[in-house]
Order: sequence, then C-alpha cells, then structure tokens
Amino acid sequence: MSKKKILEFSRYPIAFVALFVQIFLIIAMFLYASLAFTPQGSDPTAGRQVGAQIVYGFVIGLFLSFTLWDIGFSIREEQTRGTLESLYLSPASKFASLLARVFAILIWVGALAVFAILFVGAVVGGLPLQNAGLALVVLVFSVSGFLGIAFIFAGVTIKLKETAQFLVSFLQFFFMIFSAQFFPFSALRQASPLIVDGVSRWLPVSYSVDVFRSVLIGQTPELGPSMEVELLIVVLFGILSPIVGYWTYNRLERGARTAGTLGEY
Amino acid sequence: MAAQVAASRGFGLGRPGWRAKREVVRTVFLARIKIITRYKGAILMEALLPIVFAAMPVLLGITVAAQQGGGADPGDLFCAKTKINNLCTTNFKLYMLLGAATFTVVSLMLWLIGYWVRREQETGTLESLYLAPVRRIWVLAGVTSYAFLRAMIAFVIAIALGSLLFQVNPFNSGMGLAIVFLAIGFLPLWGLAFMFGAFIMKIKEADSVIQVLQWILAFLMGVFYPITLLPGYMQAVAGTFPPTVMTDGVRASILNISFIYQSAYGSLAVLCAMALVVPLLGYQVFEVTERRLRRKEGVGHY
Repeated sequence: MSKKKILEFSRYPIAFVALFVQIFLIIAMFLYASLAFTPQGSDPTAGRQVGAQIVYGFVIGLFLSFTLWDIGFSIREEQTRGTLESLYLSPASKFASLLARVFAILIWVGALAVFAILFVGAVVGGLPLQNAGLALVVLVFSVSGFLGIAFIFAGVTIKLKETAQFLVSFLQFFFMIFSAQFFPFSALRQASPLIVDGVSRWLPVSYSVDVFRSVLIGQTPELGPSMEVELLIVVLFGILSPIVGYWTYNRLERGARTAGTLGEY
Repeated sequence: MAAQVAASRGFGLGRPGWRAKREVVRTVFLARIKIITRYKGAILMEALLPIVFAAMPVLLGITVAAQQGGGADPGDLFCAKTKINNLCTTNFKLYMLLGAATFTVVSLMLWLIGYWVRREQETGTLESLYLAPVRRIWVLAGVTSYAFLRAMIAFVIAIALGSLLFQVNPFNSGMGLAIVFLAIGFLPLWGLAFMFGAFIMKIKEADSVIQVLQWILAFLMGVFYPITLLPGYMQAVAGTFPPTVMTDGVRASILNISFIYQSAYGSLAVLCAMALVVPLLGYQVFEVTERRLRRKEGVGHY
C-alpha cells in the first residue's frame, strides 16, 4: 500500500511542487500579517519569538491536517473508485492498510516541516531551537495520537461518505483556532478566558502544540500546571488514541459491512 | 409543425434562439444548485471559513502587540504600520474579516469553475458537452452564475456571523460603495475564472493547482495587510490584479482608509477597465485552449 501511494505521488509531480509552494505562501502570508502589527524599529527578539510561535505551531498543524486528510480522503477515493470492497476481501491486515495510507505523506510532511522552519528562521533572523531531541519525541507521540483521530475519521468516512470531508475540514480549522496553532494560548485567553478553559484545555492536540512549542522555544508551557504533566498527557494521547481510534474504526466498518453499505458512495 | 420547423432548420444544424440559450443557462445553473443542495455541509463550511481565516491574523495581531510590551494596543499598532496618505484604521478585526470574506468570494469563483471543468473531465461528460448544439459561453454562464450565487451566500453569511463574533459593525459607512466595488469586481473575476478553467483543462491536475493558486491569490490580494507592505515589484504586480483592487475597494469604502489608486474614482475607473477587458480576454483564452486541445488529444483525456 505504501509503495502504491509513493508510486501515485510520483505520477503527479506538479502536486508535489504545488504543496511545497503552498506551505511557503501560507507562512509568508502570516509573517506579513504579523508585520502589519510590528512597529518600525521594534526589538528583533520579539519578531523571532513570534516567528517561532507561528512556525512551531504550524508544524504540528501540518502533521495533524495531513494525517486527518490523507486517511479519510484515501478511503473515500477507494469508495468512489469501487475498490474498497475488494480490498476488504483480501487477507491483508486492515490496520496495516490504514497506516500505510499516511506513511508516504508523513515523510513528505517531515521534509516540509524542516524547510518551513529553515524558511522562517531565515526571514526573522534565526529561531530559538532548544531541546530538539525532546521535541522530536513529542512530535512522534503527537503524530501517533493524530493517527488515532484519523482512524476514527476513516470510519466516519465509510459511514458519512462525502459529508465526512466537510467534517474533516471543519475539524482542521477547529484545531487551528482552539489549539492555537498560529499564536500562543495567551492570545486566545485575551479574546476570552472561556475559550482556553472551556475548550482548548480539553483537547489533547492543544497539549501537543503547547509542549512542542514550549520545548523548542525554551519557555514554560501555557496550558498545564507543569511541563511534566503536559508531557505525560501527550504520551498518553500518543498511546491511547490509536487504540481507541482503531477500535472505533472497526466498529464503524463492521456496521457498514453488516448494513451492506461498504461499497456504496 | 414542429417537424417542419426542424426540417427547415436542417435537423439540429439550426442556431438556438435566445429562449434556448436562456434555457441552457437555467438548466446548467439548476443542475449545479441541485447537486450542491445535497452537500449542505459544504455551504456551511464556506461561510465559516472566512471567519476562521480572519480570526488567525486577529489573534496573531494580539500576540504581536503583547510581545511589544507596555500594554500596546493591536489596533493602534496596525493603524500606525498601515497608514497611507494619513489614513488608517484601528478596526483591524473588520479589516481582516472583510479581506477574508472577499478572498472567499474570489477563491470560490475560481475554485468552482476550475473544479467544474475537472469534474466533467473525470466523469467523462466534458466531451459529450462539446457535442451539444450550444455555444460554450452559455454553459459557462450557467456555471459562473451558480458560482456567483454560492460565493455571495458565503460572503453574506460570513460578514453577518463574523461581525457578531468579532463585535464589529460593517454598516457604519460606505456599504453602498463597497457593494459597487463587489459588483463590478465580479466581472473581471468571471474572466479570470474562464482563464483558470482553460488552464485546468490543459494541465488537468486541478486540486493541487487550485490550492496553490488560492494562496498566491491571498498573498497578492493583501487579504490581511495592505499591499504597500509588499516589496515594490510585488506591489506593481498586485495592483494590476483585479481581486486586489476589488478587496481594496471594499475595505477602503467601509473603513474609510486610502484606496490603492488614490481615490474611490481612481480605483473604480481601473476596476471598470478590468471589467471590460478581462472577461473578453478570459473567454478568448478559454476558446483558444479548447480549440488546441480538440485538435490534439481531445478534451476527454484526463
């Protein structure tokens, strides 16, 4: 399945280049947006801090949205092509089949994330980059947690079909705002403390963003009582989420098979 | 009688009259509407998207202001940095909301036309469409009318909902002028949409191209900032781009800030010129592209 995905990607080189360009355009646009608020001759350290907040949150956002999109979209593609039902008749592991769908894109997203960090670093004149090793561990557990959410959406795609795509879109933007991917949680708190206390604090994704950013910038995390507690939440998220996600997927898939709607689109 | 008329017109070789052309536009329009009503989530998402899109730079602005220390007000910072001809606004929330809502209109117009071409290609109906005894312009008119309606629904909901959420009032002043900018701005957008459709027909990879062009558009349009912040050569390019003039006009009318071409008259004159030239140019590009494709591999390939 991974080989098939890589082969498919290689057939659409324009899509690859477009994705690359797109990432830089998004970052450039937000950097210009922050520039519109930055007074002339302001402290460059503040600029670096803002750049770091944007790009480190963006990296987590990239992994989240690609994981969510790719599994759901790939299932949907199999549905519309009419190959999903045949795939389920093959004696291959369904878990491996699900995981393989994001394998290729995750490698590509990793490369994109590195380039995004380098790009922003070059623009703002260097980014704080502390505890890269620990940040990498946080990233691995976070991606594992995102896979769990993506498994749920794979199941939801089988059930809801086209509507699931809108749901994924909605979730993507929901996390973008409530998990403070482009700005610190303090900005959300300034808008309304209820947003942070009532929504953000209850989302494991928020902790992924907060810990990843705090570890790399070298600051105290904003959400939890301490770094240790937030790290624990991210580790638990990374372990439990795929288990819960796959269980949910299995239930939804079985439901569709029982109802005979697996092949429908 | 009907048979006689058909025979006298050469069994399908006759040119359709105005009523038939109107019917084509209506049928295409209704077909698209019928399809989209099956996906209500899409309409909701389109309306929410500009709000989310505007919220990000608003929160970013609050962050930057907090980083400056001394309790700096983001509105004051924004005003100071974006002042042109001694005119600026502290209402950065409305600035972002108007930019994001107008961007959604532009993006939807291009996306829906481009995606329509691609969808017809993929489902294998584009070639059959070319065999129908009707000029392409009427089919395109139906699709663009649908895109216009869908974009306007998203715009109105986004402005209404966004104003409530951000607690801003877009109706303080200049709404009439803003609507004029929006209405005239749609004409060059149609032209751009035709060009975009032709481009998609040629290169075929719609999704990725649409997405990247969408961000190029957002960048050049100055969705979250005035284009004066861009380097000089980019300002020159962005100034000749119809969506930039449209967004700038809508924003300057409502927020009482400087227009890209110095005054409302200047910007309107430029936009009117674009409204005359771009649709004709766009349709010409579409026709030339499809003619070339039909001569070579045909329009059915995808």
